[in-house]
Amino acid sequence: MNNPAANNEKIVKYLLGSLPEAETESFDEMSITDGEFAVALSAAEKDLIDAYVQGELTGATLNDFRSNFLASPFRRGKLDFAEALEAHAKRHQPALSETAGEELLAERPTEKKRPGWFAGKGFFTTPRLAWQWGFAVAAIAFLVAGSWLWSENMRLRQQISQSQGHPEAPGTRESELQKELEQQREAIAKTEMELTRLREERERLAAELKQQAPESQVAAGERSAPNQQPSPRGVNIASFILTPQMRGLQQVPVISIPVDTDRVSLQLELEPDDFRDYRVVLIDQITNRNIWSSSKIKATASDRKTLKVNLPASLLGPNAYVLRVTGVSTGNESEIVGDYRFRVVK
Amino acid sequence: MGDFSAQKVGQKKDRTLTPHSFQGLLGWLDQGTNSDGQQYLEMRRRLVDYFDRKNLTNFEELADETLNRVARRLEDEGTIESETPAKYCYVVARFILMEHLRETQKERVMVESITKHQPTQSVSEHQAVQEMEIKEKMLNCLENCTLQLDPVNHRIITQYYVGQERVKIENRRELAASLGITMNAVSIRACRLRDKLEVCVRQCLGR
Repeated sequence: MNNPAANNEKIVKYLLGSLPEAETESFDEMSITDGEFAVALSAAEKDLIDAYVQGELTGATLNDFRSNFLASPFRRGKLDFAEALEAHAKRHQPALSETAGEELLAERPTEKKRPGWFAGKGFFTTPRLAWQWGFAVAAIAFLVAGSWLWSENMRLRQQISQSQGHPEAPGTRESELQKELEQQREAIAKTEMELTRLREERERLAAELKQQAPESQVAAGERSAPNQQPSPRGVNIASFILTPQMRGLQQVPVISIPVDTDRVSLQLELEPDDFRDYRVVLIDQITNRNIWSSSKIKATASDRKTLKVNLPASLLGPNAYVLRVTGVSTGNESEIVGDYRFRVVK
Repeated sequence: MGDFSAQKVGQKKDRTLTPHSFQGLLGWLDQGTNSDGQQYLEMRRRLVDYFDRKNLTNFEELADETLNRVARRLEDEGTIESETPAKYCYVVARFILMEHLRETQKERVMVESITKHQPTQSVSEHQAVQEMEIKEKMLNCLENCTLQLDPVNHRIITQYYVGQERVKIENRRELAASLGITMNAVSIRACRLRDKLEVCVRQCLGR
């Protein structure tokens, strides 16, 4: 599932009951076994209902929504809620722009309104206006590309005729290429020499370090590079900073844990929220099993709220993991506030 | 929801869950951690949605039956060998779905003969008035539920769902910028808040 737009389209089809049976079964399974997919499904369902409430659905999507999606009283309840939420949001939004104000005053049409943020997200509705603009832009792009190709063609023709008029040209070109090749060989030789020098320098420094203070080696690094710090008792700690996981596809940070590390310290940057206490669970992404959990911990607040989590390095093999952070309110209610995915290499 | 007491299994099921077996289920779903029942609630929510997407009217009963069967199996055998708890719940849910569809098939002929003789109901004026009253009540409930939110969350829920087209996108962008978080983060937060509010409104309406 690498293409988000195609994924969204399939999710919508699944929600509307118009996905082929084989795929439906696979989506059924993921809706229960894959937490990330379950969240995406829930968000897509809300977006779909909102699009209907705002009259943004058209054609087959609208038909499927009415005939299949609204067949369930539970989902009709969700629609009622979406309508109430929209009315509530409008009621509490006095400082809207002129356009928005006009929209609020307008009656809710059933089908004729142009699509809204779904179109922006590349979901399932395609506004006519967008198509028109799209065609206009495409036509201009074709014109520009066409004229560029034509001028390029003319230039190349000119070059050919010039080279045909100068029989010595191929020889000149050959000698130029020879020269370039020589220069590149020289550059490669220089780089190799520099590399050898750096290797020797590194080995020399490593040997010195080993002789002077074997217990005080500290490797500094940036975000996903480990900052390995030995404690006075000789415990090696590798520390990393992780940022919150966003919706959509995002590259999973890879953390490299040195072999002799005893503990891994992870600093989780939190989005602003009102929780004072948190719980963190470490989940093995392959087996989806919880392999570690924290007690209640408090965030440290400097310019950004962070949570510090210390794990035994032995827990983390070369694998993919999620640190799931749950906020705990004063009334002891819990809410998942973020997932921090990462991959470990050793 | 939110009540973690052992629930009575569906009418045709012979065994009710004991508090002990329910605790066993909670522990198994948590996989050695303590989520305060959050894993159970999440699994139940997923199962409810699964059965609802199959257009079954008794989706909640079937979701509970799934979890109850898992709990009984746990109690009987002490452990369940499965890739993940979620995977096993899915397998049981699928089995219950098939079982239910088979039963429904048997009863269909009888139900059809009954419904055939029932007069078709038209939407009367009385029903329309009733619907309006419910909507008004829902809006009042929503007002009360949003009042329980803290100011930031209240602002998110009121600003996130306002406007159409560019106005809506612009509202969301402004909201994210003013909170110092990304658009993705604000959408996840709005989504969770909406789920909470929906539950609150349903409770307020007594559903």
